[in-house]
Formats: sequence, C-alpha cells, structure tokens
Amino acid sequence: MILEYDAAIIGGGPAGICAAIAAGKNGLKTLLIEERDFLGGQLIKQTHRFFGSEEEHAGTRGIHIADDLKAELVGLSNIDVMTSTTALGYYEDGILTALHDEKMVKIKPKSMVLATGAFERFLPFENNDLPGIFGAGAVQTLMNIYGIKPADKVLMIGSGNIGLIVSYQLIQAGVQVIGVVEAASKIGGYLVHASKLRRLGVPIMTRHTIKKAIGTDKVQGALLCQLDENWQEIEGSQKQVACDAICLAVGLTPLADILSQMGCETTFIGELGGIVPKRTADLETTKPGVFVAGDLAGIEEASAAMLEGELAGLNAVKFVTGDERVNERIHHLKGELHGLRAGPVGEKIRYGLAQLFEDSVITSEKIDSHEHDITQLAHTGIPAWENIDEKMPDEQRMIKPYAVIECFQEIPCNPCVFSCPFDAIYIPKEDINLSPVVNFDKCTGCLSCISGCPGLAIFVEQRNPEQGKGTVSIPFEMLNRPQKGDVVDLLARDGHKLGTGIVTRILYGQKQDKTAVITVETDIELVNKVRNIQLQGTDKKGVM
Amino acid sequence: MRIKEHPILEFERGKKIQFTFNGNVIEAYEGETIAAALHAAGIWHYNNSDVLKRPRGLFCAIGHCSSCLMTVDGVPNTRICVTDAVDGMVVKSENRGDAK
Amino acid sequence: MREDDIIICRCEDVTLGTIRELIRQGYTTLEEIKRIARCGMGPCQGKTCTPLIAREIAAITGKDIHEIMKQNHRPPFGGITFEEIVSGRDEE
Ligand code: FES
Ligand code: FES
Repeated sequence: MILEYDAAIIGGGPAGICAAIAAGKNGLKTLLIEERDFLGGQLIKQTHRFFGSEEEHAGTRGIHIADDLKAELVGLSNIDVMTSTTALGYYEDGILTALHDEKMVKIKPKSMVLATGAFERFLPFENNDLPGIFGAGAVQTLMNIYGIKPADKVLMIGSGNIGLIVSYQLIQAGVQVIGVVEAASKIGGYLVHASKLRRLGVPIMTRHTIKKAIGTDKVQGALLCQLDENWQEIEGSQKQVACDAICLAVGLTPLADILSQMGCETTFIGELGGIVPKRTADLETTKPGVFVAGDLAGIEEASAAMLEGELAGLNAVKFVTGDERVNERIHHLKGELHGLRAGPVGEKIRYGLAQLFEDSVITSEKIDSHEHDITQLAHTGIPAWENIDEKMPDEQRMIKPYAVIECFQEIPCNPCVFSCPFDAIYIPKEDINLSPVVNFDKCTGCLSCISGCPGLAIFVEQRNPEQGKGTVSIPFEMLNRPQKGDVVDLLARDGHKLGTGIVTRILYGQKQDKTAVITVETDIELVNKVRNIQLQGTDKKGVM
Repeated sequence: MRIKEHPILEFERGKKIQFTFNGNVIEAYEGETIAAALHAAGIWHYNNSDVLKRPRGLFCAIGHCSSCLMTVDGVPNTRICVTDAVDGMVVKSENRGDAK
Repeated sequence: MREDDIIICRCEDVTLGTIRELIRQGYTTLEEIKRIARCGMGPCQGKTCTPLIAREIAAITGKDIHEIMKQNHRPPFGGITFEEIVSGRDEE
C-alpha cells in the first residue's frame, strides 16, 4: 500500500513541527515523521526562556513552547503523525520509504520538508572516549527529560550557547560545574548567559583547551592547557583539574545524510556547520518541491529554526496548491529571519548564507548604536564598570526604585519591552538587535521585567543615602530558595562573597513562572555590586 | 541518582519496573530509556571496545554515536539510549566483534 | 607521541596515529581511508569521525575541506535489518 500525502515532513523537532502546522493549517494533507517516540526534538530539553522576538515565543521556556506547538498540531485533523519512524530512502518514482513499527512503509508525497536537525561534534584529545565524557545533549537528556543527575562535578568544554546554557542547567540540577573551557579568546555564546554563570562562581577559561581526560575506566579529571594566538599550547601552562564528567559542547553538524539520499545537492559551508543543502531563500533545495528547515539547513538558534519551519511549510503549500495567499506571511517570515540575523551575533550566519547564495551578496549590516566597548565582557563574562554606568540613572533618581538592564551585547531579543506595564523599556529604532534602554521617568521599579528577561540580566535597585542602606532585586532560579527574613550571602558579578543581607521581599507566582524575584536589603555601597545570593552554607562554586 | 527536587522541572515518573543488566537487577521507571536507568544506578561503563578493548559508555544519548550498543532480550546491537526499559528485560553488555 | 593514541573513530577503534600514517602513505580521500581503516564504516556510519578525519586530511595535505567532505551517501541510510525489509515486502 502506498500512502499519499500533499506534504511529508521529516523530523519532529521545532522546525518540523512548525512546518507541519503551516502546511496543515493551509489545507495540505500532511504527514509528520519522527524517528523517536516523542515530538519536540531538542525543545523538550530546554528549560530556559527563549530569546528572540516576543511575537515568536520569546520569553517562554523551550519546554512550554514544545507543549504549545504539540497542542496546535493535535488540533489539526489533516496532519498525521508517525513517531518511531525512520525515513529510509527516496526513489526516482517519488516514493519515500520509511521504517515504522518494524515494517517498511511507502509514502508518495507531493512535497517534502526535511528537518532532521543536527548532531554534536566530537573532539580529539587523549582518552576522549572514556565513560564520563558526554555530549552536552546527553547531559541535557539525562537531567531535563529523565530527571537523573548526570554527574557530581562537571567540566564543560565549549562556551557557545549550548555550553553556557547546559552549564547553568547542570547547576539547577544540583551539579557542580568546575569551569567552562573555551579555545577562542572570546566567549562564544550570548554574554548574558556567561554572566549568569559567572555570578554563580563558575570560571570561564578562554584560550584554554583540554589535552587529556584522566582516568582508567571512568573520568577522574582533566588535563588542560593554555593556547597562544596561533592556537598552540603555551609551554608550562598545563594544569590538572578534578571532575567526574567532561561535557563536550563544541558545536553541531547538520545531519546531512538525508540530503544526498533525497537527491538534493549539497555543499560544505563551515559557518553553517558543515555539509548543507544548496537551497533558495525560500528554502527549496535543488529538487523541486523538497524544502529544508532548521539545523539541517544550517546551524542556528531554535528561534530561527521555528521561523524556517513555517517558511518551508508555507512554500510547500504554494508548491502543491499554487495558492498565492500565503505570500504575505512568507514575506513577513523572511523579514523576521532577516531581523534575527542582522546583528553582530548573526554575522557568522550571514557569511555562511552569502556563500550559499553566490550571486546575491548579503551585505553585513553595520549596526549604528552607542558603541560601548564590551571587550572585557566578551573575554570574562563580566561587564566593565563603564558599561554598567551607562545603564544607571542619575544620583537623585536612585532614591526611588529603578531597573538596571545589564544587556550589553547586541542580540536579537525583545521580551523585556513587552514585560513592562509602564512602557518604560524601549529598544532604540525598534531594531531587535539593539540593547534595551530604560526610561527612568516612566520606570516605577515594579519588578515585572526581572523574571521575563531570558538572559536574567535585569535588576532593580534603590538607594537610601540617609540610612546608608539600599535594596537590590535579583532573579533566582536555583534550589535552596531563601525565604523572607533570611540572612543570605551576597555575591558579586564574579560570584565572590561581598557580605550578607536580609531578604525583604519575594515574588514567586504564576507570572514569575519559577524565576523568583528576590529583594535583599544591604549597605548602600553594595547595592550595585550584588548580583546573586545564596543561602548561607550552600556554596557550590567552580574551582579552577 | 535521580533528581528529587528541581527549581524549574517536575518529573512525573511511570510505574516502577525492573530489568537485569549483566545479571544484576536494575530498577527503572516506565518511560525511561535503559541508558537513563543504568545512569541512575551509577553504571557508566557499558562495554569494552572491539579492537583496543577500551571502556565505553553513554555519549550522545540520542541514538547517533552507537557508543551504547547492547544485547537486549537477545537482540544484538540495540542502542540502549533510545530504547525504553521494559519490565523483565534482559540487557547484556556486548563485544561487537562477537555479535557480528 | 601520545597524541597518536587519540581515538578518532569510536566505532572501529581507529586512532589519530593510524589516520596520520595513512595520509602520509598517500591515502588522502575519505573513501580510501574508510576502506583501509574501516573508520566511518561503524554502526554510527561515520557521523562522529568523518569530520575529524576530514580535518586531519586538510591539515596534512593542505587540501580544501570542501572537496574532502564531498562524499556520496546511498540509500538506505538508517540501519535496517534484512527481516525488516522482508516484512515490508510481505505486506504488499
Ligand atoms: S549513546 Fe550515542 S547512540 Fe546511544
Ligand atoms: S566513529 Fe567512525 S564510524 Fe562511528
């Protein structure tokens, strides 16, 4: 028997689900094929709030986005979902074969969206195959899906967003992260994620690499060394650290096998992660009617994957039905994608895409903004004082509460703007890549923005010069949450202990969605230094 | 070790079940993969590699790297990181050289 | 040198030393190295090791990584047993 469909979507992660929804909503008889026995792909491991545009799920935790998308999918009766199904091959006569329930099934789709995602890179170093060396995705699967503590003391290799986010999640799961090692001179991921780790006391060692895993049948430690500008080991810089697991977060490569399988032409583009499909701006491969989306099309953030999924789905609709009504939305999605990639953090993607569309040169857009130098932040995860000063109101204003947004890097993100009930936060020129600004005339210090920021980069302060006291409110997402009246340790931006303070207020309701907002009272000179707190005696700092 | 308390997540575990790994009884919850249950039991060393006899364990946990192959209920080369634990299952380490 | 002991292909236990030696002997395509050392022919089908081997070829020969990576994959691409194929045919 041959199953006939208007569209077959391969891969049930964020891109694939969005493609299926777009196709289904526009009337296509759609089949979604997923290898695992569940949908959601990497989304279901993501406990953090997503960056990006408020309009496209930003500010919502990945796990909740997955639930929302799945609910939408189930509501569409013209979409069939086949889980535990592996696509096998595509043949000349337009027949797609797949393995379902241990049987081969044959499918004849009029169009296809390939969204098989990516897999993690491996790294060559001595003993790199020892038990206890895990891919970052494995660690996330264990702790966030199955609720199993992956290890006790973890060394993270790689400071891209995955390395930084997984490190933070490890600490949430009660694991000690002894440090993050990065071979480049700068932190690779969003700097707000790096700052979150630093204030938990986790060192980030740039220009370092792992030489060797120590242990005989299980990891017991690691040998690290420092690198010079030419990526060569600096003599005498070796250093041994103790840990029981090493987590590799050194990048992703598209799972490209399926492309050659489907007869789609591929090319190698390092910036996009490796072998990628040749495709148009509408995500159509060299095979008419076969589209790609998500990490398979080039490694990018999940927010882009979801936009691409919808874009590919709509183009499949256009291919099958010729319906021009989807054009408006297609145009809009392309604009959104363009916006996400327009800032400095999108540069790599832009270079990659420019190679793909050989004839249409995508110029690297220079964003013209208050160019504060964030070199120190990029090297250490800790902003320089002049960066922080830029975000402060003048002294008289400080006697009333005010928000300090420690978001210095230009990343595509805007949920803070929508979280403020008083319209006090705005993004200059409405360019999603610029850092947000607080209008201190409108800000009431209401604390609404703190838990909504995906980077947990917003703090509210108030100073009372007469009494020499002040308060600071911070986001808190760890275990051992303090209670009102507790005396707590106050920690600086690098996690070192500054002194103690008293918890005067805690917001922890539906709106905060598990990101508690904790206000502590302390000496006035500490107000601008405190960026984290911990219950006394619960120290779990990194040790490198 | 299973996480009991988490600041963001709640874990709904299925029914308690048991399987054996190299003859030892392992406790698991329905819906967990074999690898997850072994990890919770502190078992990291899965088998020794074919040629160099190097110890190997879980690596990718999503069915891509093939580091976790075991014989499950007599079926060789089963990726235990994507195979759910079932009550009464018999799981054995394997040396791929023998299994082929 | 200990570096030679680094595992490049986990599935087939192929070390960096072996790969380097083959490249020095003049085997400078993924296909050749795969045939001789079996790396890339393990159950993961080279997902883990191919990028590392390509990098090594590029580093030693100065060849462009694009060319090295251009390789053909043919169906079926998942692992499938004979019984599974047969059971599909039976259905028809
Ligand atoms: S651990 Fe990679 S396939 Fe199971
Ligand atoms: S690691 Fe080389 S084939 Fe799997």
